[in-house]
Amino acid sequence: MRASHPGRRQVLALLGGAPAFAAAHPAKAQGEPRRGGVLRVSAPTNPSTLDPMTGSAGSDHIYLYTLYDTLVEWEPATLEPRPGLAESWAWPDPTTLVLNLRQGVVFHDGTPLDAEAVKFNLDRARTDPSSNVKPDLASLRAVRVTGPLQVALDLLQPDTALPLILSDRAGMIVSPAAVKERGSRHDRDPVGSGPWRFVSWADNEKVIVTRNERYWKPALPYLDGIEIQVIGEVNTGLRSVITGQNDFVYFLAPQQKPIIDRAKNLVLVSGPTLWCIQIYLNYGRKPLDDVRVRRALNYAIDRIAFNKATANGLAEPAMLNLPASHWAFDQAMADANSYDPDKARHLLAEAGYKDGFDLDIQGTSDQRSIQREEVLIEQFQKAGIRAKFTNGVIPNSTTQFFVEKKHDAYLSSWTGRPDPTQTYQLLFSKDGFYNAGRAGPVPELIGALLDTRKDQAIADRKQAFARLQKLVTENALVVPLQFQFEMDAHTARLHGFRPNLLGKPRFENVWLDT
Amino acid sequence: MNNKGQMIGRRLLQIAPVIVLATFVVFGLLQLVPGDIAVTLAGENATDARIVQIRQTYGLDQPFLVQYGHWLWNAAHLDLSRSYLSNEPVLDQILHRFPTTLLIVAVALLISLIIGVPLGIVAATRPGSRLDTVVTSFASLGVALPNFWLAMILVATFALTWNIFPATGAVAFGKDPAKALLHAALPAFALAAGGIAEVARQLRSALIEILSSQYVRTLHAKGLSPTAILWKHGLKNVSVTLLTVVGLLINRLLGATVVVEAVFAIPGMGSLIVHAAIHKDFPVVQGVVLAMVVVVICMNLLIDMLYAILDPRVGRT
Repeated sequence: MRASHPGRRQVLALLGGAPAFAAAHPAKAQGEPRRGGVLRVSAPTNPSTLDPMTGSAGSDHIYLYTLYDTLVEWEPATLEPRPGLAESWAWPDPTTLVLNLRQGVVFHDGTPLDAEAVKFNLDRARTDPSSNVKPDLASLRAVRVTGPLQVALDLLQPDTALPLILSDRAGMIVSPAAVKERGSRHDRDPVGSGPWRFVSWADNEKVIVTRNERYWKPALPYLDGIEIQVIGEVNTGLRSVITGQNDFVYFLAPQQKPIIDRAKNLVLVSGPTLWCIQIYLNYGRKPLDDVRVRRALNYAIDRIAFNKATANGLAEPAMLNLPASHWAFDQAMADANSYDPDKARHLLAEAGYKDGFDLDIQGTSDQRSIQREEVLIEQFQKAGIRAKFTNGVIPNSTTQFFVEKKHDAYLSSWTGRPDPTQTYQLLFSKDGFYNAGRAGPVPELIGALLDTRKDQAIADRKQAFARLQKLVTENALVVPLQFQFEMDAHTARLHGFRPNLLGKPRFENVWLDT
Repeated sequence: MNNKGQMIGRRLLQIAPVIVLATFVVFGLLQLVPGDIAVTLAGENATDARIVQIRQTYGLDQPFLVQYGHWLWNAAHLDLSRSYLSNEPVLDQILHRFPTTLLIVAVALLISLIIGVPLGIVAATRPGSRLDTVVTSFASLGVALPNFWLAMILVATFALTWNIFPATGAVAFGKDPAKALLHAALPAFALAAGGIAEVARQLRSALIEILSSQYVRTLHAKGLSPTAILWKHGLKNVSVTLLTVVGLLINRLLGATVVVEAVFAIPGMGSLIVHAAIHKDFPVVQGVVLAMVVVVICMNLLIDMLYAILDPRVGRT
């Protein structure tokens, strides 16, 4: 399995040779950081909003990270939690989380970021009608201010996923004064405490931020500002970097690597992410309500070949729901979904589909998705599964499968969450939106999900996730296929950029040659 | 003048039913497309309850005709509603983006005329010659070339290889006219290829017909020089044909910007409607359609008025 699950550094070295290695050792290869300059970024999507509570798209984070700090941060390579605005946290009992906030942090409008501000934010996130992060804070019963820089979170049940949940939208702290003054206008005129403050947003055109002179992290940020230009088509975005109109482009596809290699002025940066290409299953109806059929789907896929054919090997075959470099990855289960078409046929025969069956799959009409479909059709065929895809644009396909309950399965992706509990909860809990059939075929799953929120130590939580992953895999609740690599290209004048496992670029430590 | 006034009045009366018909058809088509913007707005943490709440908030749970009637009533009061996605007033979005598209269309039209008219004249004055063959072949090629393909070739050559023009984006004309024109040059040229061909071909055939007519023969017999005949009599008579071509060309160019704006990442009307249509952001789609319909009707009206000026017979009918 070593070859199919290379370590992060191996992956970086394999991918881009010297440039990728440089990305893994920024200080050594790129000299001393310097202040100044405006970074120009090509982004494929417009933000949904710039308020972390009301926004709806996973692609918003590149904008949000410039404007907001989070209560908790994570290690880029593993997503293990580390202090953020909360310089420490403690669990006096299993249902109380105490956050000790950093001193001297102020919002861009000059108001203090203190315990009252944090309480305001968490109460707003869990009660405001326009909140899109309520499910993240479902375990929160009350927030108490226990000191000028201390809040206590009273929980309905133990929830040790909370620290990492607070490294995402729910933990991005906005200025209460700005929200009270601006109301819904805060969506487009936001005030946070992050490394840069908001300047302007021309819809579907450009977002501009400028240095927060009172930022609490010493010497950061290096950049005077960032201009993020919205260029919906990534090939066009890449062209803008080749011609020097922009400095950085992300969300590139493996197929674009030769173009980056040919452009002598570009540096390729890449690394594994949680972003999983997978087939969602509606196990609330026939034929996928039968675990044998679902398991057959998993055995029918040769993930190594799939990875080679659809990503030129520049991605990680997904055996489970987490990539190999994640702290909760369970090596013991890594072979559970190995390619075995004979076993797939045998399981189908057992389930009464001796001559195979027709599988009606929703797909999306983009070029890369079509390519994946072609490979899957061929691989499924070898196990007697006749896959038929119906394609549409992503918003329409998502509605058809998850809301209108059309089709047996859906070839799409899961972008991942900072805490794995969120992933398993949203994908597999009985009332989870991404559980299309709203079915609960595994009663033990509820307990296993709760177990992942009980323990505080990472090692103990890892054991709980191993048990949960075993249930998910044995019951074949999803068909994971491939973890996408974050693929970014930047000009040679940019230094210090490091990819992260969440696959969402951050620029606090980036600097430019003047 | 009375007749001209009646003609303008008739055209103006057509505006309201055309707008209602166009926006109703587009709204109906949007309803047929699968998908639900409430799911997009609910985002990655979507729950069934949140989706229902969003549908109620935006009135998406209302019957089709009620939703359309509500939009039409507001539009009649010059309120084009707000975008579901960005919550910005649709009118502001249109006013912000329309000048960008208009600049590209104007430059494309200018290029079409500057190159197309001389080519048409040269071909018409030497019918059957090698030059005529070259112009006619070029015109056929211009019509046949897909403008998105030409756009990509232009980017690869003039932006990526030679680095003369920017590969993407747009600059407001009012902010920096020179930069705005530099950004508009490649997309306008990609759009203009078909326009050049169309202008050259139409002008050639109209001019050949006029130059071979009996009154031109009389002019020759009276001793007028070929140059005088061409400039004083030939071109004046083909101006109506040219005007028709220009009118059609403007309408076609406005539509073609949808594709070219995508290639060059230009924040114009085309990219606005594509993004809105994909996400079923219907106030934006309706607003853009309304704006386009108004522009096309006004353009046609202007052309009709110019007809009447150039050819007095038009005003008398």
